[in-house]
Amino acid sequence: MTGSKSKSFVLWAFVTTALLMLSAPTVVVLGASFTAGNIITFPPDGLSLKWYGAIAQASDLRQAFVRSLIVATICTLVSIPVGTLAGIALAKYRVRFARSIQIYLLLPFTIPLIGSGIGMMLVLGNMGVLGKLWPVGIACAVINLPFMIWAVTASASNLSPDLELAAANCGAPPLQRFLYITLPAVLPGVITGSLLMFILALNEFLVSLLLVDARSVTLPVQIYNSIRSIITPDLAAISVVFIACAGLAIALLDRLVGLDIFLKSK
Amino acid sequence: MGVVAADVRRAGSIDQVAVSVKDVGMAFGDVHAVRNASFDLPQGRFLTILGPSGSGKTTLLRMIAGFDRPTSGEIFINGQPVSAVPPHKRAIGMVFQKLALFPHMTAAENVAFPLKMRRHDARTIPEKVERYLDLVRLGGYGDRRINELSGGQQQRVAIARALVFEPDLLLLDEPLAALDRKLREEMQLEFRRIQKELGVTTINVTHDQREALVVSDEIIVMNGGAIQQKARPVDAYRAPSNAFVANFIGVTNFLEGRIVELTSTQAVFESNGVRLVGIAADAALAAGLSCSGALRAEQIRIAPRGGRLDDLETVVDGQVVDCIFEGDRVVYEIRVPDLAGVLMRVFDHDPESHLQFGPGDEVRLGWNARDMHVFQK
Repeated sequence: MTGSKSKSFVLWAFVTTALLMLSAPTVVVLGASFTAGNIITFPPDGLSLKWYGAIAQASDLRQAFVRSLIVATICTLVSIPVGTLAGIALAKYRVRFARSIQIYLLLPFTIPLIGSGIGMMLVLGNMGVLGKLWPVGIACAVINLPFMIWAVTASASNLSPDLELAAANCGAPPLQRFLYITLPAVLPGVITGSLLMFILALNEFLVSLLLVDARSVTLPVQIYNSIRSIITPDLAAISVVFIACAGLAIALLDRLVGLDIFLKSK
Repeated sequence: MGVVAADVRRAGSIDQVAVSVKDVGMAFGDVHAVRNASFDLPQGRFLTILGPSGSGKTTLLRMIAGFDRPTSGEIFINGQPVSAVPPHKRAIGMVFQKLALFPHMTAAENVAFPLKMRRHDARTIPEKVERYLDLVRLGGYGDRRINELSGGQQQRVAIARALVFEPDLLLLDEPLAALDRKLREEMQLEFRRIQKELGVTTINVTHDQREALVVSDEIIVMNGGAIQQKARPVDAYRAPSNAFVANFIGVTNFLEGRIVELTSTQAVFESNGVRLVGIAADAALAAGLSCSGALRAEQIRIAPRGGRLDDLETVVDGQVVDCIFEGDRVVYEIRVPDLAGVLMRVFDHDPESHLQFGPGDEVRLGWNARDMHVFQK
């Protein structure tokens, strides 16, 4: 009796601490963004929305935010077809060297980001496309592709091989089988992966830092540049907008496929 | 109305062969999943391929469906060789073991899918879907999603999907195996009813001997990739062609011995010094060869020791080891010292004498020679 009581106390304490630690940064940034003062502090020095007004006026922040959205969109558009087809192939067919391919796909992600970032900087620099936005989007897609593939593979490996046979038996030729049966069945994985890719590209800092120039800074890089000169509460406000974007994506995910699928990676 | 149409269809095609399997084999490397399988199935018949797991029955079915290509032999559907025809170009409906319903579609969308893929006139599709949902007694359930239906209802959707485009042939790949017994028996009769109503040629695969006996016009028993017997259910039961079939269908006692005398119909063999007489059921029998006599548990009569079993041709004494009450019958396990202590299983269906013997009781067993089938061992 007492044993289970003390156990449940420890569990509660543990969970509460973990939740506090996890949410503390968000709470601090959120609080700081509402300050009425001129320096970043927590708890905020009075309450106002003036820094939100300031970022709405600041064209450099706004443009950087739009650029981040463009990068994230390009990244997502690239990774949907690539990741979906690769994920289905790896899960469903006995691909030769399947394991090696999986490890190969992990490479950009497992070697330190700074390393792959410098590699890409060299390649893209040679191609003369540094400073454009689309290479950043593609770079984000390359680095984060394993997430997309994992999400799709998880959906596809639950897929019964009988389903495609049943579709064939119903008279569906191979392309129709893929479009009407396989694709809808892995759609939860595709949606999960796409949103994940979008958020990751939106937040991507290190690779962007190496691949952008003054004309094409993305939001995380812009924030970083500002911090180096002067820290004002408008950075907290833009961070809150950022967090809101991620929150929106998660809400969308929950709405579309259900978070349980995402969490169980089903 | 539908029944009349089906009758006409059947009457017009009496004895026309729907499916013909000729020397079909399937080898995966050195492993032969199916070897030299041959049979003809007339139109409108219900055939069950019965066998234990690994007997090759599912492989044979998959080859007929077009999912696997035979490594030897040829399959003909309505007289046409089909080895080169991909599955989506065959007019075959199939109910899968795990049903394989499309989870992202409603019941009606599942049933409509074959019609759409086979390019039926879009205006006729809703009416056909409704007719077939009615046929499987799911009228009004069309808008349900698959996961909102019970196991039995899902079965019915799968049947409707397989039949809605009026296929030449219906294949059933053990779709009832996962159901509980009561639902399974209900669905067996349902399959039978629908098949009779539509007159569609059907091949069913199962390891359930009771299902095979209940639903089929004909049974093929398979073992080790080879067809053991093709017969009507009653013949497969009464006159098994070999020891495997005798053992697989029904509860059978085997008495081992050596042939001492052989006529064209009767085989006399000696088991542990006891002379036993049975039907010579195997062409390969010869005097001096070892053999086994198969005897169904329900063909044996049981009486108290010294009891009169005068009307029976063979009588032996034994001792009850165990008795199991199964409601409609009692199963006795009886040790027979005269036959080297072999354990024989005996069914007693007589409601008057239920449980008249208990473990340890001395009893007498008797049977007729015509009920003993003698096979080469």
